[in-house]
This record gives sequence, C-alpha cells and structure tokens, in this order.
Amino acid sequence: MLLPDYMDRQIHDITTKRGQSTISPPVAIHLTWASRRPSDFLELLQKGFKLKVTVGKTVRRVLCDQLGMSNEYLDGRINTIFLDGKPVDDVDSAVIRDGSTLALSAAMPGFVGAALRKGGYYAPMRKGITHEAEQESGGDAEGFFTLKLYNLVADEIGPLFLNSGIFVEGTDLARFFDDRSPGFWERRRKIEINGAEADQSRLLQGREWAAQSGLVRLTVHQE
Amino acid sequence: MDKILRIDMGAQGGPKITETPVGDYAGLGGRALTSALVAKEVPPLCHPLGADNKLVIAPGLLSGTIAAMSGRISVGCKSPLTGGIKEANAGGQAAQILGRLGYAAIVLEGKPSDNTLYKIAINKDDVSISPDNSLKMLGNYAVVDKMKSEYGDKIACISIGPAGEMKMSAASIACTDMELRPTRHAGRGGVGAVMGSKGVKVIVLDDDGTKMRAPKDPEAFKEANKRWVDGLKKHPVTGEGLAAYGTNVLTNILNEAGGYPTKNFMWGRFDGCSKISGETEAATETERGGLATHGCHRGCVIQCSGIYLNKDGQYLTKQPEYETVWAHGGNCGIDDLDAIAMLDRLDDDYGLDTIEMGATIAVAMEAGVAKFGDAEAAINLVHEVGKGTHLGRILGNGAAVTGKAFGVERVPVVKNQALPAYDPRGVQGIGVTYATSTMGADHTAGYAVATNILKVGGFVDPLMPEGQVDLSRNLQIATAAIDSTGMCLFIAFAVLDQPETFQALIDLLNSFYGLSLTADDVAALGKSVLKSERQFNEKAGFTSAHDRLPAFFKNESLPPHNVKFTVKDEDLDTVFNW
Repeated sequence: MLLPDYMDRQIHDITTKRGQSTISPPVAIHLTWASRRPSDFLELLQKGFKLKVTVGKTVRRVLCDQLGMSNEYLDGRINTIFLDGKPVDDVDSAVIRDGSTLALSAAMPGFVGAALRKGGYYAPMRKGITHEAEQESGGDAEGFFTLKLYNLVADEIGPLFLNSGIFVEGTDLARFFDDRSPGFWERRRKIEINGAEADQSRLLQGREWAAQSGLVRLTVHQE
Repeated sequence: MDKILRIDMGAQGGPKITETPVGDYAGLGGRALTSALVAKEVPPLCHPLGADNKLVIAPGLLSGTIAAMSGRISVGCKSPLTGGIKEANAGGQAAQILGRLGYAAIVLEGKPSDNTLYKIAINKDDVSISPDNSLKMLGNYAVVDKMKSEYGDKIACISIGPAGEMKMSAASIACTDMELRPTRHAGRGGVGAVMGSKGVKVIVLDDDGTKMRAPKDPEAFKEANKRWVDGLKKHPVTGEGLAAYGTNVLTNILNEAGGYPTKNFMWGRFDGCSKISGETEAATETERGGLATHGCHRGCVIQCSGIYLNKDGQYLTKQPEYETVWAHGGNCGIDDLDAIAMLDRLDDDYGLDTIEMGATIAVAMEAGVAKFGDAEAAINLVHEVGKGTHLGRILGNGAAVTGKAFGVERVPVVKNQALPAYDPRGVQGIGVTYATSTMGADHTAGYAVATNILKVGGFVDPLMPEGQVDLSRNLQIATAAIDSTGMCLFIAFAVLDQPETFQALIDLLNSFYGLSLTADDVAALGKSVLKSERQFNEKAGFTSAHDRLPAFFKNESLPPHNVKFTVKDEDLDTVFNW
C-alpha cells in the first residue's frame, strides 16, 4: 500500500535538513520479529511517529498521493480523524502543515464516538472543537508531521509503516524498549543497529544511539 | 412475563411474598416498567432508604427469548444519591433467567424491623426467602461462591456487597455473568443502598426446567433475529471494534479530541493514555492468557467484554470498561493498568459504582487526601469504603458528599451524580444530556438510533444553535425506548447507522408480541417514559435549577482547546418541550 520509495526520501530529507557538512544518516534500528502481532509495537503507533512529506497539502493528498493509501480505505475504513486534536469532517479541506499531528481511527462506539465521526450526523454536537476548512498552500515545501494510528487502523496499516520504516524520537524509543515485558523480547529474531547485528542489551543499556540523534529510524520486519 | 413478584420486607411476622398479574404494567419492560411503577407507587418525597421506597428489578420486553443481545436488566427506585427517580441497568444472565421464570418484575417493598439479612431463591416452582446472617459484610464474590455451593452452578445471582449493606449512596447491585462471577453492575445512583435498606443480600435465580419464551409468530421472529444479528455483525463498531478492544477503545479517541477529563476535570488530555488504552488493555490480556473478546450474557454477538488476568496469570477481574479505566485512571492521574484492574475488582466486590468511586477519589485527591497518580493510595481509599471507616463512609457516599466534607469547589456532579468520561466542554451535546437527564449526569441517557426516528417532534437543522438541544432530546427519547426492550445498549451503535437494523428490532418486538409497532410508536414509548420520570422528579422537588452543569464548566477553559460550556440555560430548559 505504501509507496516503496517514500522511506528513501525520508532519510535523504532528514539528513539534508540537519545541514550537517558531513552527511550522516540518522541512527537506524532494524528488528526482525517472530510475531505478526501489531500489538507488540502498538504503543509506538498510538503515541505517534514522524513522517516527512510535502506539507501544506490536504489529508487526502498526503495520505493517498504521497504515502500510497487507497482512497477507498481512507473514505471507507478511517471513520474518525483528528488533525491537531480537532475532529476532521472533510479530508479534502483539512491541511497538514509542518509540525501537525494526524490521528486515524476506525468507527467508534457511544454517542460521543458517533459525534466525533468524520462527517457524522452528530458532528454539530462538537462544533466547538471541529477542525475548520482550510486552503492548501502552493509550493513544495517539505516538513514533518506526526501520525498516530489507533485500534483497527493500527492493526491493519501499522505493520506496513513499521515494515517501510518510521521515525521516532530517540528518547521515546528508548523508553519504549525499557517498558517491554520479557515476552516481547522472546519474539525477537534479529536486532541490527546501523546495519550491524547487535545484542538486545544495546537497546537497553548504554544507549549511545538515543543520546546522539534526535530522530531514530525504526523498521520492523514481522515474520 | 405475565406476573410480578412482590416481597414486603416489613410485613408483620416476616417478609411476605405475593404474586400478582402485571395489570397496569402490561406491555412494559425494563426501564419503562421500573419507571412506571416507581412513578405510580413510590411517594416522591419519601426517604430513599425508608419503607415507602421500592426496588423494582425488571427484565426487558425481549429478555428470555432467543433474540440476540437481550440480556439487560433494569433496576429502578428513588435514588439515595440524586433524590430523584433512578433506573440503573446491567448485563449478565439475570435478565434472561428472570424472563424465562415468567416474571415481569421483582418488587422489594417495605423495610425489615431489625438488621436481619435475607436471601431470596426463585425457581420455576417456588419462591423462598430466608434469613442468612452468615452473609453479612461478605464481598460479592464470596456471596456468589456460597450460593453456588448451596444451589449449584446453573444459577444467576443479584447481590449487594458491603457498600450496599452499609447503605452507601455509591453502592451498586451486582449481576453474575456467564462464568457466574459478579462482574456486571447496575451501578449508578445508589440502587445497592436501597436493596440494603430492604435487608436483602442476594436473590438467586434458577431457571432449570423452563423454556425460552415463545413468540406469537415463531417464523417471523426467527427471520427478524437473523436480520438483527446480520446487522450487528456487519457494522464496524458492533461487529469488529468492540469485540477487539471493548469500550476502552475510546480512551485514545477522547484523549486525542482533548475531551478526556484528567485529574478531576482539570484538563482534557492525559499523558499516560497510551498505557491504559483499549488497545494496550487488549494486548495485555491476550499476552497473559486472558481474553480480549467475551460476552457477558448468552446470546451476545457483540462480545465487548474480556477477562483480565494479573501478572501471574491468575483471574483478577473482567475487562475494565472505558468508564472504569477513565474514572480510576486518567481522572485520578493513574496510568497503571494493573492498579486500575485491581480497583475494578474491589469495586465489584464491595459493590460500588466505578464511575462514582473514581470521580470521588479524584475529588479527594484534589482535596489532598491522596496525591494524583498514587495508585496505591487510591486502592487504600476503596478499602476504607469497603471497611466502612469514617473516611470510607464519606467517600462511599459519592463525589458531592466528599467535595462538601473536604471543601472542594470543583465537584463534577449533576443532581449529585458524578459525571462520566466525556468532558462536556469539548462535546457540548453530551453536556446537554448530562444537565437535563432525569437520571443525573448520565452518558447513556442519550444514545443514538437510526436517523429516521430522530424527526420526532419535527426536524430541526442541527447546525442551528438550538440543534444540540433537539438532538439531545431526540436521543433521550430513543434511549428510553431501547432501555425498555432488554437489549444491550450497544446495539444502538448499529441501529444509528443502519435503518434496516432498527427495523429488525421493531420486527422482533412485533413478531414476539403480535403487534404492529412503528418507529413512531417506539418514540412514543420513550417519550412516555421520560414524561413519567420528569413528573416524579418535579414532585420530588426538582426544578430547572437542577438541570445545570456545575459552574466551573462555564467558567474554566479546558486545555488543549481552551473551550467552555456555552449552551445557554434557556436552551437547556427546552429539552423536554414536545
């Protein structure tokens, strides 16, 4: 579903943005995991990860044109959307900017769940916090936004993003690894840091990788 | 369900059992019956713990049939918490068994002259009531264990814990689930205290030898049930989301929306949400060998519940619901799922409303009785309630009493009942329902149904300022009707989006009873229920002044969106204009 070259673009743009005279890629952690359970990395998906896109474009243009999501999935499956904490009713007039946070969810239960639904009948009940329509900005400016995936959407497309690669703040990733149960680690098959195989302890102790870089690139291949 | 079982607990010579035909209450079930009976037979100015109050336990119109989702039982009385009319309801097995035993309602009346505690046992041949003081101050789990050893494991139990015996206003009534655990509660409004005031600890139901209730038109009923189940299964909420994550799937969503009441309604976002979300809860349950998908009664196809094991793989409690995780979690600044699960277990065992207890502990934290985020302190406070210490008796009587005792201004209650897990400053429409519901602050009072029913009283553009009031009115009407059917309330999510599924529900009623109801008739039922409840409350002394949110919702902005509740008082006063 995701455009195959989008991760290469992410890396190139991150290193360019750093403005370093000696271009060095962000720390890259690659995990090969025994389980296909998206729940193992659920917390990362819930808390959000960063992506680099052409900003100033609508939600539809970013998700579908730039990241490769199908229109059918966006329109039919993603029933609840928040942009910077505000419920979105129209994906063609909600604009993602540098620093935006976009959260995606399936349909929610309850009266309030129905009220928060994209374009739902009860949307007026929360008009005080509804995302207002905007115009796209012209140009090709690049920027980062944070994507959060919840519930069924996290289950369905979370693994695709993990497999393609996501960016997470190093300190957040370190905290994530610290909080994992023994059962989580039993499912590891291989850990690689910057292309070299590494022991589990490298993810937990003496984590120079968390200290030296802001964003860490994480890919997870689930067998 | 053609008879009512009345038990006069204050009769001379001991409790007296009478069976009467349904009479004036024919054609009513669930909330429609409990509210009609309370409105007719309970003096609105009576003391809720006195002899004149009545506790009415009623299955719904379809309970005891093969209709899917028909396991909801209603409990009605004058509420010791709000002082107004109350209907609280629960899932579990009790509704279906009571329906098959042929009872439209059990009514506990009068008041015993001493402190004897009674148990009631009902089977198809007999109703018996006997004193059993060995049950005194037992938790609900221990009571059920005792009843299992006496009556076998094919029973259902309706019981109170120590909180109900101590007549605390946050006391609930427990109903056992399919595993015969006391995990489903008629929680709100102190109904457990009323059962305690009647001296009844447990009602044991045994439907051995009975059959499913037979519809007037079996073929049409079976066909309608198939459409009903198909509709529920194909909907993404009832068919997928709730089964996978339970109601706690709402945690991330409300948090993202900035409407997740945090630390006694100070903020709308909680940093620890991802640790206590429905997704995390389901993953934890699965990893430990529990269940993330589970039904609370036979015939449930939504399966929103689950089973939560502790770190050692031992059963701890049923999957805590969204309201419980919020109340004991984010609202108290606690992000420890195991601690929240323990609090859920304690609430179930002591017999306490989890919403009221969580809100109360948060008020106590604001007062400095404990620190926000201190899970161990929260657990200890619930133990205080269970033991009935002086502090426990304050807490066990709810957020309003606790706020008063400790001089706290920010007390989130309406009609003395604590607000549930949605901040009304974000979704103002829920605030309209909280303020005006006959039940006090209640998130289930205004649920959604198919749009074709919502044109009751004429269609008003929801974009107009008065639109929210009209939507709340229509939702309250529709919910009151659904509350009478015995259907789990969560069917409303599918019925909202799928008119054909709502039609299937009407067809179930029609084919069972040989009627020709339409959507308008269902709406009329809802209106009549609300009307009788409003009238009771007015006679009990309620005025429009009671249909208001606490002032801080209008005065304090809620971060992160910095919004206030802005629906005008005069608009709130029009909710019941039809």
